[in-house]
Amino acid sequence: MTSAYIPIDSRRSPLGGHASATERAGRSLPFADERHLLAHQWVVDEAYLLDQQDYESWLDLLTEDIHYYMPIKVTTALGAGFDTAPGMAHFDENKYSLSRRVARFATEHAWTEDPPSRLRHFVTNIRTFATDDADELVVDSAVLLFRSRGDVREHALISAGREDLLRRTDDGWLLARRHIAIDESVIRMQNLAIFL
Amino acid sequence: MSELELTLDDVRRGMIPAHIYNDREIFELEKERLFGRSWQFVAHESEVPQSGDYVVRRVLEDSFIISRDDQGEVRAMFNMCLHRGMQVCRAEMGNATHFRCPYHGWSYRNDGRLVGLPFHREAYGGEAGFSRKGQTLLPSPSLGTYNGMIFISLDPEAPPLDEFLGDFAFYLDYYTKQSPSGIELRGPQRWRIKANWKIGAENFAGDMYHTPQTHMSVVEIGLFREPKAERRKDGSTYWAGKGGGTTYKLPEGTFEERLRYVGYPDAMIDRMRATWSADQCAVVGDSGFMISAASLFPNLSFVHNWPRVEDSDDVLPFISIRSWQPISENETEVVSWFAVDKEAPEDFKAKSYKAYLMCFGSTGMFEQDDVENWVSLTSTAAGSMARRLRLNSRMGMLADGSAVVEPLSGDEFAGPGVAHVGYGEYNQRHLLDEWANHLERPVTKSAGVEFGATKVEVGS
Ligand code: FES
Ligand SMILES: [Fe+2]
Repeated sequence: MTSAYIPIDSRRSPLGGHASATERAGRSLPFADERHLLAHQWVVDEAYLLDQQDYESWLDLLTEDIHYYMPIKVTTALGAGFDTAPGMAHFDENKYSLSRRVARFATEHAWTEDPPSRLRHFVTNIRTFATDDADELVVDSAVLLFRSRGDVREHALISAGREDLLRRTDDGWLLARRHIAIDESVIRMQNLAIFL
Repeated sequence: MSELELTLDDVRRGMIPAHIYNDREIFELEKERLFGRSWQFVAHESEVPQSGDYVVRRVLEDSFIISRDDQGEVRAMFNMCLHRGMQVCRAEMGNATHFRCPYHGWSYRNDGRLVGLPFHREAYGGEAGFSRKGQTLLPSPSLGTYNGMIFISLDPEAPPLDEFLGDFAFYLDYYTKQSPSGIELRGPQRWRIKANWKIGAENFAGDMYHTPQTHMSVVEIGLFREPKAERRKDGSTYWAGKGGGTTYKLPEGTFEERLRYVGYPDAMIDRMRATWSADQCAVVGDSGFMISAASLFPNLSFVHNWPRVEDSDDVLPFISIRSWQPISENETEVVSWFAVDKEAPEDFKAKSYKAYLMCFGSTGMFEQDDVENWVSLTSTAAGSMARRLRLNSRMGMLADGSAVVEPLSGDEFAGPGVAHVGYGEYNQRHLLDEWANHLERPVTKSAGVEFGATKVEVGS
C-alpha cells in the first residue's frame, strides 16, 4: 500500500550505526497507564528545560549512545518510498557533538544566542508505546517551536513530529534516541541554534 | 549622473552605499541584468546518477527539472507545461520516465519531449492539426558542466561556461576534483534567512578578517584549532577569473605532510597528487597555502575546513558548496550541499559529513553566528540613514588607492590570478565590481517562444 507516512530510521544515517534499534510494540498505552504518565511528564519537563535554555541540565538527560537525528525533508511523489534527502540531515548527532553545541552556548561569544532568543516549545499529541524491553518506552509527540529574536524581526516557527526512545537507567529515565520529522523542506528560520 | 551611476561609482571605489543590501529597485535590476544572464549552479551530476533521476531546482522564480534522460544525458527543462502553464513536476526529486501534467494530462518524456496529449484527435485534429513532434518543455537557454557541476544560464548568449570560469577553474578543482571520479554531492539543506544574498557571497569570497571575532566561540570549544587571529592573517586571498577565495598558511612540510595536517588519509593524498596539475600541487606543497572559503560570481560559494569531530586531536576536512538564492532584496534561500570525493574511504565520508554538520549548514556552529550578523546588517540597511552611509570596503588600500601590501609573486603563490597575504577586501571589491558591470548594462529582450501555432494573419 502506498503511504504518505515514512518512518525515520537511524540505520539510514551514515552516523546512526550505534543507535538503539528498539521499536514500539502494540498499540499506544492507555492515557491512564503509569508508563504513559511518566513519559508525558518527562517530555513536558524537558520542554521547560529547552525553553529556559538550560542545556547543561538537558545534556544530563541524554544517554551516552544517543542518536539525535533530524533528516532533511524533501517533497517526493506519493509512492516514491522516501521523503528525506538520502545521506544528509540537519541534525545527525551523538553525545559528543551535542556536548560541543551546548559548550558553545556556554561561551560568551555565541553571538547568535546573545542576546538570547525567546523560545517556547509547544509539545502536544503525546502517546506512549511499550517495547520488548521493560526499561524502554517509545514516545511520540508533536512540537511547535516559537522563536523570537530582538524587536524588529518577525518570529519564526518550526513544526515537527518526534519519536523518542526513553530508557530507564540508574540516573532515571534518559533519552536514548530522538527522530525528528521536520514538516518543512525549506526551513523558515535563520539557523537551528536550538534543539527540538 | 543618474542615481544608479553614482551608486555604482561609489561601489567601484570601495565605498558601498549601505542601501544596496536592502533595496527593492536594486533587486529588480539584479534580477534582470545579473541573474537574467549569469551562470547559475543548479545541481551536480552525482545527484542524478541513474537514467530517469531528477531534481527540481530554481533560479529565482524559474523552476527547472534537472533530469538524466534514457540516453544518460543531463537536461535542464523549464518546469512549466506547454499547454496552460501548470508545473509539470511538483516533487523536489525522484525517478521518472515521464512527467504527466496534473491539469489536463499532457505528458512529457524525461528528456522533455511531448509524447502524450489526451483526446489529441478530438481536441486538436490529431497530428495534422497540432503536431506533437518537436514539442518539448523549454530547455534552459544555456547549459554547461564542469567537473560534473551543472550550471544553467537564462541567457542564450551566455559566454561558454569554461570561458566564464576562466582561471577560477584552477581553484574549483580543489573542491570538486580530488580524484578522477570527482565529488558526490549530498543534500541540499535549504533554509531562508532575512539577509541580502550579496553578503554571504562577499563573506565567503574574502572575509578572513571576521573569523577571529565572529567565530571565537568555535575555537574556545575546541572545534577548530585554526582561526586564531594570528593564523588567519598569515593566509592569503586570491582572485582569479570570475571568483576568488581565502586560504590558510600551512606549517612547513611537503605536499603530503601538509594535506595530512588538515586530515586527509594517504590514499586520498596520492590521488590528489595524481589528479592535480603541477601548479595546483605547488600551491599546497611549495607556496604552503590551503584553500578555505571561496565565491564564484555572482552567488555560488565554497568552503573547505578541518575541525575536530571527536574527542581527539585529529581533524577531519569537509567541503561544502552553496548557492545564495535570492528571494527578495532582504531574503535569501541558502542551498547548502555537503561534497565529498567519490573515491574517499567510507569511514572518511562519514566523518567528513559529521564535520560539515558541526561547522556549516543549517545547524553548523560557524554558520550560526555568520547569519546572525547578516540578518542584522540587512534590516539596518533598509532605512533612510542607510541611504546616506557609504560603508568602508577599502581594506588593503591606502587613501590614494595604492596597496598596503604588494601582491604575492609567482614564487610565493603558484596559482593563477592575484594573491595577497593578510587581511584585505580585494575579493569583496572584485565581486562588487563585477556586480556593477552587470547592473549598468541594459539587457536586450530575449525572443519569445510559441508552441504549436502557426501565425495566422487576422483579416481586417
Ligand atoms: S496545463 Fe498541462 S496539460 Fe493543461
Ligand atoms: Fe564566517
